[in-house]
Order: sequence, then C-alpha cells, then structure tokens
Amino acid sequence: MEVPASFVVVSLLLSCFVGTSYGVYFSSLNKTLIVTATPKQGQVLKAGEDKITVTWRFNKTYPAGTDSSYKTIKIKLCYAPVSQKDRSWRKTVDLLKKDKTCPHKIVARPYAASNNTFTWTIERDIPSAVYFVRAFAVNAEDQQVAYGQTTDAHKSTNLFEVQAITGRHVSLDVASICFSAFSIVSLAGFFYMEKRKGKK
Amino acid sequence: MEISQNTNTTDRKFALPVDSEHKSTEFRLFSIASPHMRAFHLSWISFFSCFVSTFAAPPLLPIIRDNLNLTATDIGNAGIAAVSGAVFARVAMGTACDLFGPRLASSSLILLTAPAVFLSLIANSPAAFLMVRFFTGFSLATFVSTQFWMSSMFSPNVVGTANGLSGGWGNLGGGATQLIMPLVYSLIHTNIGSTKFTAWRVAFFIPAFFQMLSAYAIFFLGQDMPDGNYVRLEKSGEKHKDSFSQVFYHAITNYRGWILALTYGYCFGVELTIDNIIAQYFYDRFNVNLHTAGIIAASFGLANLFSRPGGGILSDVVAKRFGMRGRLWTLWIVQMIGGLLCLLLGKIGSLSGSVAVMLVFSVFVQAACGLTFGVVPFISRRSLGVISGMTGGGGNVGAVLTQVIFFRGSRYSTEDGISLMGVMIMCCTLVILLIYFPQWGGLFCGPRKGVTEEDYYLSEWTTAEKEQGFHKMSLKFSENSRRERGKKGESVPLPSDKETPSTFV
Repeated sequence: MEVPASFVVVSLLLSCFVGTSYGVYFSSLNKTLIVTATPKQGQVLKAGEDKITVTWRFNKTYPAGTDSSYKTIKIKLCYAPVSQKDRSWRKTVDLLKKDKTCPHKIVARPYAASNNTFTWTIERDIPSAVYFVRAFAVNAEDQQVAYGQTTDAHKSTNLFEVQAITGRHVSLDVASICFSAFSIVSLAGFFYMEKRKGKK
Repeated sequence: MEISQNTNTTDRKFALPVDSEHKSTEFRLFSIASPHMRAFHLSWISFFSCFVSTFAAPPLLPIIRDNLNLTATDIGNAGIAAVSGAVFARVAMGTACDLFGPRLASSSLILLTAPAVFLSLIANSPAAFLMVRFFTGFSLATFVSTQFWMSSMFSPNVVGTANGLSGGWGNLGGGATQLIMPLVYSLIHTNIGSTKFTAWRVAFFIPAFFQMLSAYAIFFLGQDMPDGNYVRLEKSGEKHKDSFSQVFYHAITNYRGWILALTYGYCFGVELTIDNIIAQYFYDRFNVNLHTAGIIAASFGLANLFSRPGGGILSDVVAKRFGMRGRLWTLWIVQMIGGLLCLLLGKIGSLSGSVAVMLVFSVFVQAACGLTFGVVPFISRRSLGVISGMTGGGGNVGAVLTQVIFFRGSRYSTEDGISLMGVMIMCCTLVILLIYFPQWGGLFCGPRKGVTEEDYYLSEWTTAEKEQGFHKMSLKFSENSRRERGKKGESVPLPSDKETPSTFV
C-alpha cells in the first residue's frame, strides 16, 4: 500500500515536536546560573534543626537575552555520587524526566536576575547523605532551560552532609522492649502451665 | 474399602465424622467446631500472621532504606536473610512437633519471634535491619506445625485439602502485607501526623501484636490431636512419648523426604524469591510506578487464596481414582508447567503479557506446593514432623539458592534470571520420577506384589517397640491410608494373615 507523501511529511514534523516536548536532557542545558549555599565543604548539618541559605543570580558573562525564557527558578537538594553508589533509586539519568538525582525541593521562586536568597530549614524527612544544591530555570511550559549548582561538573567539590533524624522516640523504644519481654515471659508461663497439667 | 466410624473405644463425640484415629473425614470450611476445624482456623490465621511479619518490610522499603541508609546490597542481603533462617528452623520445628505436639511447638515459636518484630521498631542501621529480618523469618517455620497439625486432624481422604488450604491461606499473608503495611503507614503518617521515619516504625506494631495474639489463641483454644493434648495423652498412656533419635533417624533415612525437599525448593522456594524481586522487576523493566508495582507483587501472593488449596484439593480428587500414583503424576505435571511458565515470563517484553503470564505462573507454582503436601503425609507416620520439616526447610533452601544464583549482583539481568530459574525448576522436578512406594507404586512402576501399607509404616518400629505397643498409631494410619491404592487397588491383598511384616526402606 502506498503511503501518501503528505502523510510522511506531517508525521516527520509531528515527531520533531514529540522529540522536543518528550523530555529535556541535562547535558543540553547551560550552566547560566551562579548558585551558592552556606554549608562549607564537609560540614555536617542536622535535619529538622539546621538551616541552609541559598543565593542565586544570573551569570552576566552570558549574552544578554539568554534568560528571556526563564520564568521560575526551582532550587533542589541533590545527592552527591558517593550517596548514589549501590542505590539505583537515586540514579543520575541524562533525561531529566527519569533523573532521580534531585528529589528534594527546597523552594521555587519567580525568576529575577540578581539579589535572590532563601533560607531553608532542612526538613525532617531528609535522609542521611552527602548533598549539593542545584537550581533549575524553567520556562513557561515548565521545562528546564538552564541550571546552576554549588558544586563542579564532576560533583566532587563543596559537598556537605546531612544527618537525618532517627525517627525513634523513647516511648517507642520502651514499648517495643516491654512487649518483647512480655512475649518471652508469657511463653515461660505457658511451659509452666503445661508442666502442671502433666503432673495432675 | 470401609472406613471405620467412631463406633469403637471412646465415649467421645465429634462434630464431624471421623476415622479410627478420630481424624475428621470431612472438611467443613465454615465450621469452627473443636477440635478439627478449630485447629484449621487457628493454624492458618497464625501462619498468615507470620507471613505478614516476615514480609512487612519490603513494601515500606522506600522509606526504610532512607531512614537506615541502606544500599541495594544491604536490601538484597536482608531479603536472603529473611528466608534463610527458616531453613533449619523448619527442620527443628518438625522435630518439636513430633516430640511436643504442634500446639506447644507453634505457639512457642511465634512468641519467640514476636520480639524480633517488636524490635524492628528500634532498628537503626543496616546490620540491625538484617538481624531483625533474619530472626523474624524464623517464624515461617510455623508452616511445618500447620501441615503437621492438619495431618494429625484430618483423614487421608481430605488431608490434601486441609494442608493446601491452611498452607495457601497462610502464604496469602505475603501478598496481603504488601497492601496492609502501606495502608497502616499512610494512616499513621497522614492522619496522625508522624514523620515518615517514625510512621513506619509505629506501623510495625500491627504485625507484632497480630502475631502475639495468634500465639495466645493457639495455646488456649487449640489441641494437638483429636483425642487431646500430647501431655495428657502421654500421661494416660494412649500416646507413647517417642525418642528423638529414632524419630530423626527414620526421617533422614527415608529418601523420599529428601526428594520432596528438593522439589519443594523449586515451587515454594521460587514463590518466596518472586515475592522478594517481582515488584522491582516490574518497576524497572516496564517503568510502572511504585504503587502499581506493589499491587502486581501483591496479586502474585494473593493468588494463594485459591491456587495452593486448589493443588491440595486436586491431589485428593486424583487420589480417589488413581491413588498415590495419581498424586505423584499430577505433582510432576503441574510443577513442570510451572517451570515452563517461569521460563516464558522472563522472555515476554510487554507489560500486559508479563502480568498475564505471571498470574498463570503463580497458579501453577502454588498449586505444585499444595500437591507436594498431598504426598508428604504418607512418607512417614512416625516421623511425620521431621519429614514435613525437611520438605519445608528444602523450600527455603530453594529460595536462598535461586536468589543467590540468579538475583544477586549484576551477573544476570532480572529477566534472564527469571528464565534461567524456570529451566532450573524443570530440571530439579525430574527427580520425582525416582519416588517409589512399594505398596502403591511410583510414576512409572506399579506396586510390588503382596506388599501392604502395614509393611511400610510398621517397618519404622523395632520388634521390641512393637511388643510394647508403641506402634498403635501407625497401625491405624496404615488402615486408613488403604485408599491410596486408588480404585484399581481394591483387590490387592490385605494383611490379614501376616505376623511379622518385612522391613522396607
């Protein structure tokens, strides 16, 4: 069966659109934002208590107008490679839709070229790991168009650590130990009762 | 073939019709009459609770792995630990049932492992996580007490059904927990407002309490045998307190126990392995989200509602016409098909195809488990517990082996691992060809002429023991197992004139 030429052309065009709206690749983004955060290299912060102050601005060495499509800035907390090792649920994938490097949102703000700052108290459900901070600039279609991060391209400098809460409480500890002991004691009780039945 | 009703000795009245050992010859699911049906309900509910506890961690792993800083290796090792503890615990449980009775043996084990579930709440490191999963996994040995108890309460004509239903509905816990634990967790996290890392800990109280309460129920409401508990029967002399070494010896020298231990590793063992890996498989290969992967994983375990009992019922139905040979043939065919479906599962590239094959595969592999325990009660009467324990333990060995060979590290992709596991299932199932009962036959050979059930079961006792009358239970059992000859075997000679039966291995 012959496929009409027009159909082929239309489908080719459509596939191009599909290609662009299908997903953004991290390697296609430019590092046009300069991001800094208060934790120093190797500093250990406590979840639920300590704060991180993030500042970001547009890197003026890029041509003017590069940032015309930037609508919102999304700041995220990202895993460093050492915390991704042997943990495929934190894997870095170039296609940003599937990327799991930066699951923790810090803040989202409308874009402004300079004078941006935000202080964030590390939330209590952040796990213990080594992190850096990354900012994504997204356009009106909610697609990433640029980024900036506190570390270098190899994600090896300026990394900091977060120590998570344990989730344990004294009341839980006491309850679990008491009930465990109770199980063993009642077992001893059972044996005693059986022995007595045997003697009767 | 006549079944003797309880017209003889005791003045005991039972709610269900019974045979000469007072085992029920009928299975009434919706009754809780003591002692038979009550034992059934107590055993499947307590076994269910042990499964819920043992597999309570997997559905909550996305939160636990962040809280305890686990790596993929830690998670894999904990999964293997969870099923390896029960390997020896099941054999030990078999022995304990033979010596102390299923009521005390199972309630003791459940209470001994409940602390492991309670202490999961305070786990704070990968090592602690491994330990609690390891010790909690010991509770899966209650499988043996379940099967032993059913074999003590139900007559050969319904024992496959009883074993299949109690085993299957217990295994259901492995599927139910994938739905229960996330639900409890979200209730605590969202409605009560605890943080994630506290909510999962509190959620573990549910399986822990459930387990503890089922142990109490067994102790206070259950009874070892239709006529009473071991302790009372031994005192009155109705039951002889057997010697551990003899019981153990007769179990390990019976080659049929070893064969079924191997093949059970490739139906039940495979089921446990799939419980551990299937959610991740669907999540990674077909990119479904975690919730969907969890539901698919749950449906594999939930098929146990009817598939394992179906295997047990099928075993009994086939035995009516074809006796033990029918039971063995059906087991061999069903488990072979299970292996073939496993091979196929790894090869299918579409999501809907995979789910469909997985569901059919679950039915066959679980039915094979039910069919296996349609044969186990007949391998030995004296050492029923240890044989059940060996077979059950073999199941867990299969789970450890398949996970270590095919699903650890990155030697094989998960789909290749699944297909290769299917090949291994088919190869290991071939040994069923070697099982031979002199009084009933095997897959390809008929029974030996002139050999009776008494010859087989009484060969487990020495002449001295027989003189003291210790073998009475085996005598009654031999009579009741006559129906395993099937319809054709009705004309085979009965042991009316024999005095000293020959010894058989």
